[in-house]
Amino acid sequence: MPAGVELDVRGLTKRYSSQVSVGPISFEVREGEFFSLLGPSGCGKTTTLRCIAGFETLSAGSISLRGVRLDDRPPHRRDVGLVFQNYALFPHLDVFDNVAFGLRLRRVPTVQTRERVGRMLELVGLPEMAGRFPSQLSGGQQQRIAIARSLVLEPRILMFDEPLSNLDFKLRIQMRDELRRLQRRLGKTSIYVTHDQTEALALSDRIVVLSHGKIEQIGTPAEIYERPATAFVADFIGSSNLLQARIVERNERGTVIETQGGLRLYCAGGAVDSAGGDISVLLRPERIRVAVAGPAEEGEPNRFPARIAEITYLGEDLHLNLELAGGQSLRAALKNSIAAAGLAPAQQVHIVVDPDDIRLLHT
Amino acid sequence: MSGRTPWPLLPFVAVVYLGLLAPLVVVIAVSFGPSAAFAFPPTGLTLRWFEAFFNSKPFVTSFFRVSLVVGLLAAVLATTLGTAAAIGLVRFRFTGREAFETFFLMPLLVPEILVGAALYLFYARLAIHASVLTLLWSHLIICTPYVIRSVTAGLVGMDPRLEEAAKSLGATPLQAFFKVTFPLLRSSLLSGAIFAFIISFSDINLALFLSGPESTSLPVHLFSQIQWEGDPTIAAASSLQIVIIGALILLVQRIFRLRLMV
Amino acid sequence: MRGSGQRMGPPQPSSAPSLTLPRFRGREGWGRRPLWAILVGPYALYLLVLLIVPFANVALFSVHAYSPTKVVLPELTFANYLKIFDPYYARLFGRTLRLGLVTTAICAVLGYPLAYFLARARPRVLALGLFLLIMPLMVSTVIRVFGWIVILGRKGMVNQALVAVGLEPVKLLYTETAVVIGLVNIFMPFMVLPLMASIERIPPSLEEAAQNLGASWPQMFLRTIMPLSLPGLISGCLLVYSVSISAFVTPALMGSPRERMVGQQIYDEVLVSFNWPSAASLAITLVLFTLLLLFAALRVTRRAGRLEIRQ
Repeated sequence: MPAGVELDVRGLTKRYSSQVSVGPISFEVREGEFFSLLGPSGCGKTTTLRCIAGFETLSAGSISLRGVRLDDRPPHRRDVGLVFQNYALFPHLDVFDNVAFGLRLRRVPTVQTRERVGRMLELVGLPEMAGRFPSQLSGGQQQRIAIARSLVLEPRILMFDEPLSNLDFKLRIQMRDELRRLQRRLGKTSIYVTHDQTEALALSDRIVVLSHGKIEQIGTPAEIYERPATAFVADFIGSSNLLQARIVERNERGTVIETQGGLRLYCAGGAVDSAGGDISVLLRPERIRVAVAGPAEEGEPNRFPARIAEITYLGEDLHLNLELAGGQSLRAALKNSIAAAGLAPAQQVHIVVDPDDIRLLHT
Repeated sequence: MSGRTPWPLLPFVAVVYLGLLAPLVVVIAVSFGPSAAFAFPPTGLTLRWFEAFFNSKPFVTSFFRVSLVVGLLAAVLATTLGTAAAIGLVRFRFTGREAFETFFLMPLLVPEILVGAALYLFYARLAIHASVLTLLWSHLIICTPYVIRSVTAGLVGMDPRLEEAAKSLGATPLQAFFKVTFPLLRSSLLSGAIFAFIISFSDINLALFLSGPESTSLPVHLFSQIQWEGDPTIAAASSLQIVIIGALILLVQRIFRLRLMV
Repeated sequence: MRGSGQRMGPPQPSSAPSLTLPRFRGREGWGRRPLWAILVGPYALYLLVLLIVPFANVALFSVHAYSPTKVVLPELTFANYLKIFDPYYARLFGRTLRLGLVTTAICAVLGYPLAYFLARARPRVLALGLFLLIMPLMVSTVIRVFGWIVILGRKGMVNQALVAVGLEPVKLLYTETAVVIGLVNIFMPFMVLPLMASIERIPPSLEEAAQNLGASWPQMFLRTIMPLSLPGLISGCLLVYSVSISAFVTPALMGSPRERMVGQQIYDEVLVSFNWPSAASLAITLVLFTLLLLFAALRVTRRAGRLEIRQ
C-alpha cells in the first residue's frame, strides 16, 4: 500500500434491489486530505458514507483503513468519526457530557476527560457553553459541538454528512470557511458528503463526483471544473453551455467542430476520438468575452456576432442570453462593471471565445 | 432499522407476541375441537360447538338481541353525541374549553368496574330496573370519548385553509363545513363509530352490574358460563366475537391507511 | 427519518387511554358563542347526569352506616373509611397494590424491547405489529381470560404437556401467579403504546451517533434510548398500574376467592352482600388513587415535549 493512503475503498457495492444499487465504487483517501463525495440526491454518496461508518453492510467490495479491513467490524468499533446532518446531539446531556460521551465509554479517567473536552471546546471556540444544553444552542454552535464530540476521540478519519445544509446562506459560508481552517490546522483526514458543488470546490483537496451509484470523475477541484471528464460532470459543476456538435476537421493545431446550431468553433484540445464525430462541447459562460460590435481583429479565431436576447441582473454578476446566427443560443456571465452596465437587450455585440476555453467531451 | 440491532431482539419480540396471542389462538382452536374437556391441540375438526351455540337460547339472545343491538345503537348514538362535542371543542373558542376537554375524557380515566358499580347504585336509588335500554345509555358513557378523540384528531389534522378556500369561492360557513370538512371527516367518524361499537360489544365491567334477566350481554353470559364450567360452546361464542372484532380493527386500519396510533 | 416527527396524514385515534387530546392551536373558529353550547351541551349534560351524579351518590353512600336489613341508615359516619385499616382490608389493599406493582414491572421488562421494535419497524411490519397488539385489547377480557384458563387449568394445555412427559400436573390456576400472568397479558399494550410513541420521537441518528462514538447496542440503549424515553416509560407504568389495581374480571376468574383484589371486593359487596356503604368507600378510595396516578402520568407526558431539540 503506497504510503500516505488512509482509506482504501475497493469495489464497494450496495444492492437494494435488482434495479437499485450503488457501485462498484473504488477510491483512495490520502492522509490529511479533504476528500469530498459530490453528486445529486440518490447518487450514492450518503450510502457510501454509511458503508464506511458501518450503518450499511456491503453487498460486495472492501473498505480498509491503513491496510486493515474495516467492513467486517460493527459500527461502534471503527475508528471513524461521523458528524451527522442534523448534528444528533444528545438532548438529555449538556454540551460537556455530549463531548465527553465517547471518552466515558472508553473509560478515560475523569481528569483526562475534563482536560480533553476543555481543549476541544476551546478549539471550536465554545468553551463557555459547557454547561448548556443542545436546545439552547444555535444551529452553527450545535454543529461545532458535534464536530468537537467526534474530534475529541482523535479518530483516523472524520466524516461529514451534508453538515451545512441546515444552515442559512451567510452562516453556511462562514461555517464552511471555519471548517476548512480547522481541517487545515489539524491535518485530519476528512471525508465530506455534499450535493452543493460550490462547497465541494471550496473545501476539497480532491473530489469524487458520483451519479446513479457510479463514479463520474475523481480529481482536484480545478481538474473537475476545467477538465470535466463527462457531460454529467460538466453540467453538474458550475454553470455551462453544453452543446451537441460534430467534428468537422482535425489537424495539428486543433479541432474544428460544428454545433447543431450551426456554430463553427476552433478548439485547441483535440484528444477526443468519437466514431462518427459526434461529441459534446462545454463552454463556460464566464469564459465567453463580450465585446462591442466592431471591425474584427485578426487572429481571433472564434469571433461571432450575437444579439442580446435577455439580461439577468444578479448584483455581482450579469447573465446574458445571447442569440447567434443559425439559431444557436448561448449564456454568458459577466462581472458587473461600468462597461457591462451599458449593455441592453436587443443590442448587437460580438462574442469571442478562446480556443483553449472549449472542452470536448464524450456524449 | 438504524445501525445494527442485537440479534436476540426479533426472537424475543416473537415470543412476547406469542404469549399475547396464545389465549386467543387456543380459544379458536378449542372451538373447533371435538373434546368437551378443552383439549389442546384439538384432535379433530367439528362444528358441533357452533351448532350448540346457535341452538342455545341464552347464547343467541345475549349475542344477537343484546350485545349486537346495543353495540350498533351505541355506535350510532355515540357518534352523534361525540361528533357534536368534538366540533364544539375544536372549532369554537370559549372559556373553560380545556376544562371541558378533560371532563369529556374522564370516563376513560375512571376504572370501568367503578363506573359500573356507581351506575348500579344510582339506578338502585332511583328504582330503575336493568334493561337493554339502561345498558345502552350506560355504554354511551364509555363509548363516546373514543368518538370524540377520533373526530378531534381528524379536525385538528385537517388544513383549515380548505374551508377558507371554499369561503373565498362564495360558500357560507355552514356550507363550507358540510361540503368540505364533513366529507373529509368521514374516515374519522367511521373509525370512531367502529371503536364505539367494539367497546360496547366487548364491555364486561359495566355489563356485569347492569345485566338483568332480559338484558344479559354476551360477555356477561360467557362470564357466568366460565364460572359454572360450561363446555366449549363458550369457545365457539368467543371465536365469533374474536373474528368480528378482528375484522373491524382491520377495517379501521384500512380506513386510516397507515396505523392506529396512541 | 421517522423519528423527526414528520407523519403523513392526520393524527390517528387512540385505542388505549391516551391522556391528551391533540392540541388545537388557536386558529379562527366561527366565534358564534351560543352554537358551541348546543354542540357541547348534550354530552356534557349526559356525563353530568350519568357519571358525576352517580359518583356523588357513591360518595354519599360511603358516609352512611350499613344495616343488613335496610342496607343504608340515615346516619353519617366515617367508619367505612376507617375500616380500610382493619387487617382484612389492609391485606386486601396490600395485595392489590403489590400485584399491581409486579404486573407493572413485568410489563416494563417485556414491553420495552417490543416498544423499541415497533418504534423502529418498517411501516408494513408496524401495521401488523400494532394490529396484533391492539386486537386482543379490543376483544372482551372474558375471552382472553378464558383462553388462559384453558392453558393453565388442571386439565389444561400446560398440564397435559407435563403429564405427557411423565410429570405431575401443577396447580397453576387460582393462584396469584395466574392473576399476574393474566394481568400482564391483558394490559401489556398499555405499556407498549406510550413507550413506543416516546421512542419514536428519538431520531435514529442519535442511535447511530452513539454507536459511532463507540457504544455497543446495549450501551447505546442504556445511555441514549432509556433516558430519552423515560417519560413514555413512566406514563406506561402509571397507566398499567392504575388499570391493574382496579381489575376485576381477571382476578375473579383466575385468582383464588380467598386472595382477592379490591375490584372483586367491591363487586361482592355491591351485588352479593349488599353492603353498599362499605363498597362505596372502597370505590371512592380507589377512584381517588387512580385519578392521582393518571394525572401524574399526564404531567409527565406534557413535560416530555421539553426534551426535544429545535432543529
